[in-house]
Amino acid sequence: MSTADLSRALWVFHMNTGSCNGCDIEIMAALTPRYDVERFGMKLVGTPRHADLLLVTGPVTRDMEAKAKRVYAQMPDPKVVMVIGNCGSTGGAFHDSYNLVGPVDRILPVDVYVPGCPPRPEAVIDGVVKAWKKLEEKGVKI
Amino acid sequence: MKAEGILNALRKKLGKRMKDAKIEKRADRARTSNVMSRIWLTVEAGALKEAVRHLCKIYPNPHISVISGHDLGRSLELIYHFSVNYGRRFGEVSVSMRVDVPKKDPVVPTITDLIPGALISEREMQEMLGVKVDGIPDPRRLFLHPGFPRGVYPWRRDEKGPGRLVRDLNKGGKA
Amino acid sequence: MSGEDFSFEFSVGPLHPALKEPVRLDMKIEGEMVTGVDFELSQAHRGIEWMGSRRNPVQIVGLAEKVCGICNICHSTAFCRAVESIGGIEVPPRAQYIRTITAELERIHSHMLWAGIAAHELGFDSAMHYTWRAREKVLDVIELITGNRISKAMIAIGGVKRDITKEQAPKIMEAMEFYRGCFGRLKRIMLTDPVMKTRTRDVGILTRKDALETCAVGPTARASGVAKDVRQDEPYAAYQDLDVRAVTPKDINGEIRGDVYDRIAVRLYEVAQSADIIEQCLKGMPEGKIVHEESMPKLLADLKKLSGEGIGRHEAPRGEVFHYVKMTGEESPFSWKIKAPTYSNLLSWVPMLMGAQIADIPIIAASIDPCMSCANRAVAADGGRKALDKEALHRLSVRKTLEVRRRLGL
Repeated sequence: MSTADLSRALWVFHMNTGSCNGCDIEIMAALTPRYDVERFGMKLVGTPRHADLLLVTGPVTRDMEAKAKRVYAQMPDPKVVMVIGNCGSTGGAFHDSYNLVGPVDRILPVDVYVPGCPPRPEAVIDGVVKAWKKLEEKGVKI
Repeated sequence: MKAEGILNALRKKLGKRMKDAKIEKRADRARTSNVMSRIWLTVEAGALKEAVRHLCKIYPNPHISVISGHDLGRSLELIYHFSVNYGRRFGEVSVSMRVDVPKKDPVVPTITDLIPGALISEREMQEMLGVKVDGIPDPRRLFLHPGFPRGVYPWRRDEKGPGRLVRDLNKGGKA
Repeated sequence: MSGEDFSFEFSVGPLHPALKEPVRLDMKIEGEMVTGVDFELSQAHRGIEWMGSRRNPVQIVGLAEKVCGICNICHSTAFCRAVESIGGIEVPPRAQYIRTITAELERIHSHMLWAGIAAHELGFDSAMHYTWRAREKVLDVIELITGNRISKAMIAIGGVKRDITKEQAPKIMEAMEFYRGCFGRLKRIMLTDPVMKTRTRDVGILTRKDALETCAVGPTARASGVAKDVRQDEPYAAYQDLDVRAVTPKDINGEIRGDVYDRIAVRLYEVAQSADIIEQCLKGMPEGKIVHEESMPKLLADLKKLSGEGIGRHEAPRGEVFHYVKMTGEESPFSWKIKAPTYSNLLSWVPMLMGAQIADIPIIAASIDPCMSCANRAVAADGGRKALDKEALHRLSVRKTLEVRRRLGL
């Protein structure tokens, strides 16, 4: 599929549930001129109420569990959840901790996983395109 | 003043209340090799404040890196990691002061009136090890969120440790 | 007007401002001025030090890297130095130089990243995109040497994991030339631009006395005239062969005011200093092994027998990183304490923010280059009560810049 098939821009809300910032930096790199996902019409928004896509990084810490669920509930349908990074996908390096309740799919239903520690911006973009496709499918169903 | 001088000055002030003092020499080799000194010593909890005060007299504004701590079974050991004479090439001398407190009465005096920068470490010691810092200006938790169970001290190795809170993330499970 | 309590969730950190790494800064504001500051790292922390007590030192090197995405060389170096100190393990000279080169590359990356954040907080978005595009050059070099952009996995106990080859050296030199070329432009954008100067001069002052008392480290302390720099005070790796001095504003413009402007200046000049260090290291690189013990099983067997305490320090882009390790002849260390630079710099927020204008809060808070994931080994803040949120604060800051520009007739 090409981005010309996509009917609208993708609004993204990012949530850090305790990550080391590695993945967050690569998400940020995806927005900078070199990779520039903004030309695809992707935009970061400041509130989940406007978002289509929830980007989650980090193994969910105890404190963030309730917040993550709250953010997810605030997002309007159709919505997709994308986890970026190993620790959000499977726990990664933090697989045995007293303060973590993740990985993310224990807390939220996840549509796309982007493994890597951290994944390259190209992988993030690839994941976003897959998430976009899923979103379009969900939108059709509704 | 070299490490030996600092140690002697402390010894003069504290006498028997200071023990197990040694100077560790460490050489990091590249093309050249330079020897840096690190002072280790143990003080009684009651003498801690005086020791820090005297260190401040020898070198105003000692830098405190962190207070490390661990559970030794019957007692809790805190190590105050200072460094002095920074700002000069090859000049810095580290001073690590060890304090042992019994678990039954784990009290140390605050040193934030002498070195305000120690506050973060003292708060961390209280919540992670269950040490009581006497006179601390801000006793609130710092790194553990308010919902974290009271009476659980993550660095303890006894029944107060985090044992039952540990989860294996690899086990997964669905939302 | 009586004091009103504004408590808001304020995003700080080395991230794109719209990406959230929140810490809660509670402020008392009267009129336009801050009269009280408190921060809450009411966050989740990952318990890394505790996890370390269940792994062996080689695994911990990998874990230490995950403390912070940006300063992963710092934590792994400091940990390795601590363990090497316990075991009397000698790092070969070539490895020392490679460690230094990767550490300085990390410093360049971090400072360029931060320069973009600072520009954004002030509303200079084109400067932000310029610095972040420029930062890609150092990421390319890092990828060339280590195989990864962010998580470098370069440091091993007793040395480094990969060598820097003759083919790679010219590319590194070329990147350093590039940064030297950038430097003039960055100075113009961030240090001589009159609007930038008005926004940052005498804003968020940290006096020398406060810097000393709060035990601040890194560029935050150096900008206030406290010349603390582990590379100078307790030289290690290749730094002992080179004459590396702490950069203070006195070297840059002859005076020290300890404001946001000084902190920007110190970081920019450190980028130039890092380029110099890397070039000197490449020219003077010793030959030889890159690791003390190549056989991993043998290394692990040796490490299991170790007993003692060790301290490893390193000058990270944000300041001093300190690791304390205690081994007791077991597979896992008995005790491991990490101290990251932001841990030492948190208290300096209080004197800096007191008396500040609301519109200056974003840039002052960002000026210590806070890395929350380092500071508390993870972060989050509660939604909580907010009267002013991050977006509103950022808009205030941008509006102030526009006002300044109008006032200066530009």
